[in-house]
Amino acid sequence: MVRRLLGAIPLVLGIATIIFFVVNLAPGDPALRFLNPNMTPEVLEQIRVNMGLDQPVHIRYVRWIGALARGDLGFSFTSNRPVLDIIKELLPNTLVLSATAIGVAFLLGILLGIVQAVRQYSLLDSVASIVGLFFYSMPSFWLALMMVLVFGLFAYQGQWFIQFPPSGMQSVDYAFLSPMAKVQDRLMHLALPATSLALVLAAGIARYTRSSMLEVIRQDFVRTARAKGLSEPVVIFKHALRNALIPVITLLGLYLPFLFSGTVFIESVFAWPGMGKLVVDSILERDYPVIMGGTLIFAMMVVVGNLVADVLYAVVDPRIRYD
Amino acid sequence: MMLALMAFGTSACRDGGAPVAKSSPWSLDPSVVEAGAGIPFCEEATARVAEFMSRFEGQVPPSQRYGGTAVVGVPGEMAGGMNAHLSAQHESSQHQIFVNLMTLVRYDSDLNPTPYLAESWDVSDDGTELTFHLRDDVYWHDGELTDAYDVAYTFERATDPATGFSNEGWWTYVDKGPSSVEIIDSLTVRFRMTPHADFIDPWTMLAIMPGHLLEDVPAEELRTHPYGSVCPVGNGPFIFVSHRQDASWTFQANPVFPEGLGGRPYLDRYVYRSVTDQTTLLTELLTERLDVFVSPTPDQAAVIVDSDVLDLYRFTNRQIVLVAWNSRRRQLADKRVRMAITRGTNREEIVAGLVGDYGVVANGTVPSYHWAYDASLGAEATSYDPGAARALLDQAGWRDRDGDGVRENPEGAPLSFTLKYNPDQVRQAVAEIMQAQLLDIGVEVVPTAVDLGTLIQQVTDPRSRDFEGAILGWVTDIRLDDTSLFHSERTEGPLAWAGTRRLDIDQYLDRLPLILDRGMAKPIWDAYQELLVDEQPYTWLYQPDRLNGVNKRIRDVVMDIRGDWVNLKDWWIPSELRRVTR
Repeated sequence: MVRRLLGAIPLVLGIATIIFFVVNLAPGDPALRFLNPNMTPEVLEQIRVNMGLDQPVHIRYVRWIGALARGDLGFSFTSNRPVLDIIKELLPNTLVLSATAIGVAFLLGILLGIVQAVRQYSLLDSVASIVGLFFYSMPSFWLALMMVLVFGLFAYQGQWFIQFPPSGMQSVDYAFLSPMAKVQDRLMHLALPATSLALVLAAGIARYTRSSMLEVIRQDFVRTARAKGLSEPVVIFKHALRNALIPVITLLGLYLPFLFSGTVFIESVFAWPGMGKLVVDSILERDYPVIMGGTLIFAMMVVVGNLVADVLYAVVDPRIRYD
Repeated sequence: MMLALMAFGTSACRDGGAPVAKSSPWSLDPSVVEAGAGIPFCEEATARVAEFMSRFEGQVPPSQRYGGTAVVGVPGEMAGGMNAHLSAQHESSQHQIFVNLMTLVRYDSDLNPTPYLAESWDVSDDGTELTFHLRDDVYWHDGELTDAYDVAYTFERATDPATGFSNEGWWTYVDKGPSSVEIIDSLTVRFRMTPHADFIDPWTMLAIMPGHLLEDVPAEELRTHPYGSVCPVGNGPFIFVSHRQDASWTFQANPVFPEGLGGRPYLDRYVYRSVTDQTTLLTELLTERLDVFVSPTPDQAAVIVDSDVLDLYRFTNRQIVLVAWNSRRRQLADKRVRMAITRGTNREEIVAGLVGDYGVVANGTVPSYHWAYDASLGAEATSYDPGAARALLDQAGWRDRDGDGVRENPEGAPLSFTLKYNPDQVRQAVAEIMQAQLLDIGVEVVPTAVDLGTLIQQVTDPRSRDFEGAILGWVTDIRLDDTSLFHSERTEGPLAWAGTRRLDIDQYLDRLPLILDRGMAKPIWDAYQELLVDEQPYTWLYQPDRLNGVNKRIRDVVMDIRGDWVNLKDWWIPSELRRVTR
């Protein structure tokens, strides 16, 4: 595991290099954000100097990598804050959203997959397959907008029993709420974005779980378990599921990039103050240090996520050991 | 227990009879009437008092307006925050000058300068000295008095080249450097300048910064200083409370804001929310979680108009949407071709189709709110007339020589060019409509979508000017100066999109800012605008209205050319309509 962790360092360095050059060689000039009728060419040049953009790109790269090695991601061009401080503030929000979404997605997907496998070719299986395909093929941003309209706007206009806040992470009066109300407020705000992210993933997980379960429940050891007189739930959940989960767990690593790219859209639609929204806003503002810092963190999260998936793989399948 | 409660309720109702109306704050206390009863003088006087007070019936007295939170939703973050030396973004500037900080002077609704932080100002007889006398009751939110040293500090930093102050053009006619500002006493400060017309304008835009906190920060380090985004200390009507990155800015009422300027704001708190998606913003407004949605699209405005709980505020925008023509390119070098393009474009149809009633056709750089504006100037000369457009192209030597519908010059080069725009539904529609309309007069337009950041670089980079035509939104100041756009000496500047070089235009641009008397200046402005019509560096399309959706519970909102937050201090919410905290 330590070797794998050390091996990730050059990988991250390579990713950082690619990110730097993609961002810095793309068309656009961050200093032009300040353009207005009162600006002179001299001031524009001074702004470039203050931003460090007057240096050739290779010099900027060496400086950025050097600073990165010291844990310094530079200063945001728009917020005038250290990028690291911004990431420290927003990363937990993205992790909360992603973790909730992936938890819900796996729970929902696995349960649905089991039911579909156990009731293969039933009406339930067919309906679940169609619904799953519907969500699987749906763009996440469109699903998010529908969520906003249905559970935010229509629920409000129809005075439904339960109404979800269309956006944000907390109410404007959050600071004045009781502790219990604060928890409730956060959960209500989390519901729509997490569900939007989770549904798309859950549909895929359900398909994988279904096929994996179908393969496992036809094997001899399952027949043996049934022959021993074990109850069906024990056979399914204790014997079959554990074996069926092995390929599903690998999905965790595969899905992380999708999950994080999903947060880019979802956070923008739901105004969730996280890394995804930060990166989108920074791209629009040509805030190079934040784009580079945010993208790098996403890349590192995918690398770490894949390591976690490998560990989980070993936990589920005792035959696998990393020496 | 339930029975007991019901019995109590019934008895209370029976005893009380009809519900007792809350006494109006505008009705006289009965004891006053009783005290003077039978004394003719007192009865008459009391009746006059009662009549006077009854005029206010139905209004909420100022003393009952205090409280509540207003939430404003905007598509973007406040880039640059509260540091007036760093930020040029609209929302940031608005919050600096109207919310957290103060300017020396502010405009009233007729755009006349009125005192604000400065209670008065004098101009020397020769117009070379401007002296501000500051109020003595404006305090920074940390308790320090706002004084002349803060003003001097703000000016020195704004004119220090190392700061990179983006509005450097404000000081064209103001002497710069430490010796140019003189502190007469702690509340009096003097500046030296060349006499010019809009000498007061920069002081309505530049928020005064806390010199006592920032004077030791070198100009070049301001950009990395936490003041602007993490812990701003202002002196305006609202105190900074918190900034949640990419989410919100929260302010609370300044309890010691000078009584002479209206005193404490009515709102207890004000929250600025950053919501990127326009659909989400509209949903938030319709579900009453937002009180104000800044700048909805015309389509969304229709939804707001249909709502029972919302009002649509519209006012003249400072923006003019135009197509800049790069006259450095051969096919656009002839002003007759540019005029033909303008006359071949049905701008009325574009405005009607894309912004409906929320915009007017523009004919020049002078916007409709400006005192020198004259809607008739250029209107006839640039009106839609495909026949006139074809004749102009014929005169310029562009004819359809091969019968393919596109004109060519004598060398056979087609009259074809790209029209770049940033991916925005309205801009895309403008490009496509122009493509169809101009093909009718034999001009081939190739609409090309380019990301906004890239487009800005392509039109501003003097080395390439990588465009032929570009649909742009030009945002003007209240003070108007087109020097950076059209002066021959600025053709290498970022804003010289068209590459205009005309001595007669230069002469007007040099002269106009220096004419103090508006009566004398008006005919000169008119003549200048006629020259622009003749030159046609741009096809001016339209001036869109600024639209804002506002919940009806927010009262006394004023939004106009000065900005969306111009009277935030005076917004108030009836107590029964304020948000209830669980």
